[in-house]
Amino acid sequence: MSPEWLRILWRSPGGRTGCLLIFLLGLLASFTSMGWLGQGWSAGSDISWGEVSASHWFGTNRLGQDIFDRALVATATAFRVGLLVTLGAIAIGACLGGLAGWRHDRWPDHCVMWLAGVLDSVPVFLLAAALAFAFGGGEAAMYLAMILSFWTTTARLVRAEVMRLRGQDFVLAARAIGLPGQQILRRHLLPNTMHLLLVQASLTFVAAIKTEVILSFLGIGLDDGVSLGLMLAEATQDILAGHLGNFLAASGCLFLLLLGLNLAADALQDGVDMKQAPS
Amino acid sequence: MLGRFLALRSFYALSLLLGVTLLTFALMVWFGPDQTYELIGRNSTPEQIDELRAELGYDQPFWNRYGHWLVELASGDLGLSNRSGESVSTLLRRALPVTAALVLPGFLLGNLLGLAAGLWAAWRRGSLWDRLILGASVTGLSLSFLVIIIALQLLLCTPYGLNWFPARGWRMDSLGAYLLHVTVPTLALLLVTLGYNTRFYRAVAAEELQRDHVRTALAYGATPLSLLSGPVLRNCLVPVITRVLYSIPLVLVSGSLLLETYFGIPGIGRVTFDAISSGDQPVLLAVVTLTAALFVVVQLLAEFACRLADPRGRLP
Repeated sequence: MSPEWLRILWRSPGGRTGCLLIFLLGLLASFTSMGWLGQGWSAGSDISWGEVSASHWFGTNRLGQDIFDRALVATATAFRVGLLVTLGAIAIGACLGGLAGWRHDRWPDHCVMWLAGVLDSVPVFLLAAALAFAFGGGEAAMYLAMILSFWTTTARLVRAEVMRLRGQDFVLAARAIGLPGQQILRRHLLPNTMHLLLVQASLTFVAAIKTEVILSFLGIGLDDGVSLGLMLAEATQDILAGHLGNFLAASGCLFLLLLGLNLAADALQDGVDMKQAPS
Repeated sequence: MLGRFLALRSFYALSLLLGVTLLTFALMVWFGPDQTYELIGRNSTPEQIDELRAELGYDQPFWNRYGHWLVELASGDLGLSNRSGESVSTLLRRALPVTAALVLPGFLLGNLLGLAAGLWAAWRRGSLWDRLILGASVTGLSLSFLVIIIALQLLLCTPYGLNWFPARGWRMDSLGAYLLHVTVPTLALLLVTLGYNTRFYRAVAAEELQRDHVRTALAYGATPLSLLSGPVLRNCLVPVITRVLYSIPLVLVSGSLLLETYFGIPGIGRVTFDAISSGDQPVLLAVVTLTAALFVVVQLLAEFACRLADPRGRLP
């Protein structure tokens, strides 16, 4: 099938803008990850806070590194963080939410909902801080904290949707011909929550990127390399000296990326609402 | 009926509290790094080390230590800060009023303006105003809190911008000093929450405005203002209460974490940041546990409040 969600996205002007933004930034990020772009990000030079020039589009930072190259690599990092956290959180949310909805009001449901309630009670920054403390810092703590915090919303939504679908005729028919519950859940129920998962995926992506920025600023995010959060943390020093290159480059990339994702999420959400409205 | 509801919900909240404390204890005390060498002086004898380890409970099994810690927690004993040696509860009690004074104006304004803009956009759904408000809130959603803070500080607190407000620090000795220090953080909090709040309140109000009673009231000549501030707002009360209550712990800790670190304000967020960066286990443990506990209590309160606000819940 020509993916239906793409058509939904393309239908509204906002969705189109969002798609284009994500596509363009994604292209830049993948070229950067493949080593075709932004390779000068860590090479220093003697020109601290160099002027904007043809070779340095956003000038250089304190160590004389090219800010434009660093922004490219940081954008690639943002995609990596976003993808990893989104895949983890959505997969866990779909599985546990599906299980809880299918076995509604029995012990699997109670366990999953209790776990979600516990994790929802700890704000993600504090969970990240606690994990970083337990592990002695490191990226793993950041990823784990975000996945543990973000799967719960998806799980609640999938659970509600599975509970709604469970009573419908096609599920009753599948049960009547003796399909095992696990198979009904996997083949018939979870695919029907796809629209929901897509909206949740784009929102989780946004949350992951935003959280990375703040965690890296607080010193419990990425350890090495360069990310939008680390660039902004660097910018806080530069700004007091009047150098705006880091700030403009990092916040510009961040804004365009988040705007693209938010617009796409909105367009998908509207499409889903329209599809569900008649029933 | 109400008694049964109260008992069930309280029992659930208690189980959540147990889970939350178990999580924080397991992470930060059981799996956390050994605190012995953090606390002990140089050149200590093996006996001193053993004594300290016994005092910290490292020779005890998990459940004993967890139970012991729970009893301490319940009696309000949060231990001493590793960094300053000060009692953690004193530290937090001193910081809490600062944070409350810092985030309260932004929190109130963010919700009130969000509610007003959301109601207005929902009322004029599809109009230019609606699209402007929605566009502005999508832009707001796409700005990181950190970017907003840096930009506001640059524009309002440095010689590169207007330089009207102090870039760092906190004073509450007079109203003027308080206003001078609270304005920029309030603006930052406002900008970061307004987008989310407006969209949320618009969605809630838009659903309510589609209902028949609104059409009927309009046909009988009700004015938009009386309708929006009366029946529509009252029917939206449950999601509004839930949202306002749920965001209290988030604003108190997550919101203040960045604001206070950036503006050098001695509140809960600053205390937390210092504890994170210096690995001060007792302080961090107390902040995480108390925030989570506050969230559980707030959840319980929200359910009771919704039950009071929505009479349908009282039917069997």
